[in-house]
Amino acid sequence: MFNKFILLFFLSIGFLTGKTQECNYHIQGEVLDDQTNKPIPYVNIYLRELQQGDVSDSVGQFVLHNLCTKVYQIEISCVGYSEQHLNVLVNSDTSFTVKLRSNSEILQDLTILGTSSTASTQETAVLDQLTITERSHKNLANMLEDISGVTTIKSGNKVSKPVVQGLYGNRLTLLNNGVAQSGQQWGVDHSPEIDPLVASEISVIKGASALAYMGSSLGSVVIVNPGEIPQEEGWHGRALYVYETNGRGHGTNLQLRNYKNGWAWRTNITLKQNGDLHTPDYYLTNTGSKEANGAFQLEKRFSDKWKADAYISSYNTEIGILRGSHIGNTTDLEEALQRDEPFFTKSTFSYDIEPPRQLVNHHLVKLHTQYTIDSTQWVEVTYAGQWDLRKEFDVRRGGRSNIPALSLNQWSHFVEGKYHGYFGEYWSLVGGVQYRSIDNTNDPETNILPLIPDYLSYENGVFAILKRQWNSWEIETGGRWNSVDQRVVRITNGFPREIVRSENVYNTFGILGGVTYQIRNDSKLAFNIGYASRNPEVNELYSNGLHQGVGGIEEGDPNLKIEKSLKTTLSWRSQLSPKWNVSSEWYFQSIQDYIYLAPQNEIRLTIRGAFPVFKYEQTFAQIMGWDVGVVFKPIETLETTLKYSWIKGNDLTKDLGLINMPSNSLFASAKYDWNVDGFFSKVDFTLTNKYVFQQTNIVEGQDFVLPPDAYNLMGMKISGTAPMKKSEWHFFMTIDNLLNVKYRDYLNRQRYFADDLGRSIVFGASFSF
Amino acid sequence: MENQDEKWNVKNKIQFKCNDVAFNIMFAPSLKNITMKIKFFGALAISLLVGLSACKKEQETPTVPNEEEVITTLTYTLTPTAGGTPVVFSFKDLDGDGGNDPVIVHADLKANTEYMGVIELLNEQETPAEDITAEIKEEDDEHQFFYQNDISGLHVHYMDQDDNGKPVGLKTHVVTGAQGSGVLTVTLRHQPDKSASGVSDGEIANAGGETDIEVTFNVNVQ
Repeated sequence: MFNKFILLFFLSIGFLTGKTQECNYHIQGEVLDDQTNKPIPYVNIYLRELQQGDVSDSVGQFVLHNLCTKVYQIEISCVGYSEQHLNVLVNSDTSFTVKLRSNSEILQDLTILGTSSTASTQETAVLDQLTITERSHKNLANMLEDISGVTTIKSGNKVSKPVVQGLYGNRLTLLNNGVAQSGQQWGVDHSPEIDPLVASEISVIKGASALAYMGSSLGSVVIVNPGEIPQEEGWHGRALYVYETNGRGHGTNLQLRNYKNGWAWRTNITLKQNGDLHTPDYYLTNTGSKEANGAFQLEKRFSDKWKADAYISSYNTEIGILRGSHIGNTTDLEEALQRDEPFFTKSTFSYDIEPPRQLVNHHLVKLHTQYTIDSTQWVEVTYAGQWDLRKEFDVRRGGRSNIPALSLNQWSHFVEGKYHGYFGEYWSLVGGVQYRSIDNTNDPETNILPLIPDYLSYENGVFAILKRQWNSWEIETGGRWNSVDQRVVRITNGFPREIVRSENVYNTFGILGGVTYQIRNDSKLAFNIGYASRNPEVNELYSNGLHQGVGGIEEGDPNLKIEKSLKTTLSWRSQLSPKWNVSSEWYFQSIQDYIYLAPQNEIRLTIRGAFPVFKYEQTFAQIMGWDVGVVFKPIETLETTLKYSWIKGNDLTKDLGLINMPSNSLFASAKYDWNVDGFFSKVDFTLTNKYVFQQTNIVEGQDFVLPPDAYNLMGMKISGTAPMKKSEWHFFMTIDNLLNVKYRDYLNRQRYFADDLGRSIVFGASFSF
Repeated sequence: MENQDEKWNVKNKIQFKCNDVAFNIMFAPSLKNITMKIKFFGALAISLLVGLSACKKEQETPTVPNEEEVITTLTYTLTPTAGGTPVVFSFKDLDGDGGNDPVIVHADLKANTEYMGVIELLNEQETPAEDITAEIKEEDDEHQFFYQNDISGLHVHYMDQDDNGKPVGLKTHVVTGAQGSGVLTVTLRHQPDKSASGVSDGEIANAGGETDIEVTFNVNVQ
């Protein structure tokens, strides 16, 4: 395997011939704060391709010289503001204005005049570095929670997965530094194995079809992007410390980078630990967790045409599962449902993690090289290898609690070749071929029959996306073909045990059509329609046995068909006046042969008692939703926000609600900014309130218990920025669940057993240099 | 192949083998023009895909785990204290959770009679069968059996204790009353709270812990 990838790197050497052309255009620009409209001095403007740049002067002006006719990628960065990458088409002397957004929670796309952006026509929300820093005590999914259309599905607070417009797990692709995360995505009790603190930004594409990425997405994608390393000589980086009262959690993150002689590198280390979390009334015994992650990124520019980079990351965590949520059978579950306080609740705090617990390691190596063919075209080759280890420990008899009850080992290899090109003034094309292999094996050390079988999966994909931009219009269209060959070996659960082999080949397709129209400079309309299909995953085909944590027998169906989705999204954002900003996103998705775990009219008797039987079935599902937000700024320093999210998922065949769909919610916030002189240059205070409605689309018989009541949570945040000569301090304090409200959330599986978290105060400080 | 090599101006090639098929990859240090480069890159990408796609193997045969923890069989033997034929209730599920239905043997008891009850647990997937009762005895402070029934006059008393003086329930004393019929449920809890209210008297309500066994027998008291 290895040889092939080495080869590709060498190959690119062959392309090192360029041709010269007339290059005497220049760009003049101005950088403004998008809220105050005042010029920002000392902003770095950087043309990576030419390795040259400028710094804006005291009135926010900059100039770039000696430019050719082509599209340049310009990076604009300034401490305290979100970094922006613009693709600017130069075919004459041009000038434009860039508006940088400071630490705002409202996520919007950029305003660029006379240029094009690489962003898709699909709706994208971005968490910037500052927001990531201020939420550094959270895991990836919890960090994304307040983006419109994004919620989380949890098994306790430390095990959570993002849900985007109602879809998660097998139906949502997570990209870790451009590579589709390969692990145990199928389980609701499996958190994504990604450290969000490596990211310089995290984006969520709320799309209709994800064409460019391997994985089984039915539209949406979460992208964790470390970003390129700034080419600044000397030692730079960031140190971060955060403390959380609930769980007495400590977290620290250190980033260090340097650049010299064309080599740039960055390293990232995260350490986190917390003990038992607390509801308003009691400790959640055994909910501690530990995490230690490291990442190393290396970039080398060999010439102005060729660059290469390498990325290695290691994610390691141990997570305690609430002791009282570990049940033996449905009698235990019924008893647990009757209790106010879970069994095994201790009156004292502890950092100890006992079984039930999870031990997860995920390692990634990524090699990437990019070669610029000419001023409008470039090609990229990527290899990524992932190794995912998951061990889950149950409370077991006979001293076996330290033998995992589930032990999975997964290797995956990914290779991708990609082409980007601009044609004429308006057209651009991205195309690529992809290959992935996955080898998933169970370790027999468990002494338990595995729930999902061993398998090998080989996958090929081809995609192309074509875009055209002119005037106020942007049109995007493209397609994707994917082929999977699954080779499964399973152990039957009859006695004596037998080994059965099966092979499945699936071909899936994706098609997208999208259009955006800039109504005026301050108002944009986007419409997307996409078809996507997803092959049944191995867990859906072959799960077999007792899923003890869920208290049910789960059976796969080897005859499942491909899931087919048709989704449309319509979004509108508008700056109605300097004071009013409105956004609205509407989506409608029909999924034919939607695969879900359906409760059966069968109770199966085992020596542990009777268990309900769940079987993977297919139905015709429909998910629709509406996210609307209004931002009102009565005065320059006060920003108020109101957001409403509505979503409904239905099983049209059975005329029932879909299970595990997010509840509707209403969110309000008010943020006040002070620009001060002194140690702090900027201080802000935010008050938030979130009301989550009861999920009323679920009726009796669809779940062990009806969805919990509606709840209301308040929160607040104070943060301040103190710039030094060449560095910057940032301090923040957040209070979650300010009023210490007792509540349970429908999408947290722990709700069967215990209340959700009580008040938590978070203190954090970061030092950037 | 030679012509091809010349066309691409190939200076080197590397061969790799997979499933006895050889793949040649050539790399060209100096391609003259852009069209050629694009063609070359395209050809390379496609050949790489085809090459990799052909490189498939079969998943290795998994080791069947040794399910030593499984309890397949519970027998509850009631011997009349005054002598006579023992009465045997049993529950046997050889293939574990799922698969085939368990085999349950129900039995009849005599009215107004005293019995000595003994529980035996086996894993009959192993040959010879593994005695799980011993494992429970070793960890008797972490286990307790509960006997619940809806037959009037039928009482089950604990006849054994763990090191802390709390009941275990492997040995019991059973007294029947008048004639009647109903069900008897035998439950084994792992890590119950034996000091919670009523638990030592055989009441399951406050016990907590996980259920390792829960079997129900039909009982006729004649």
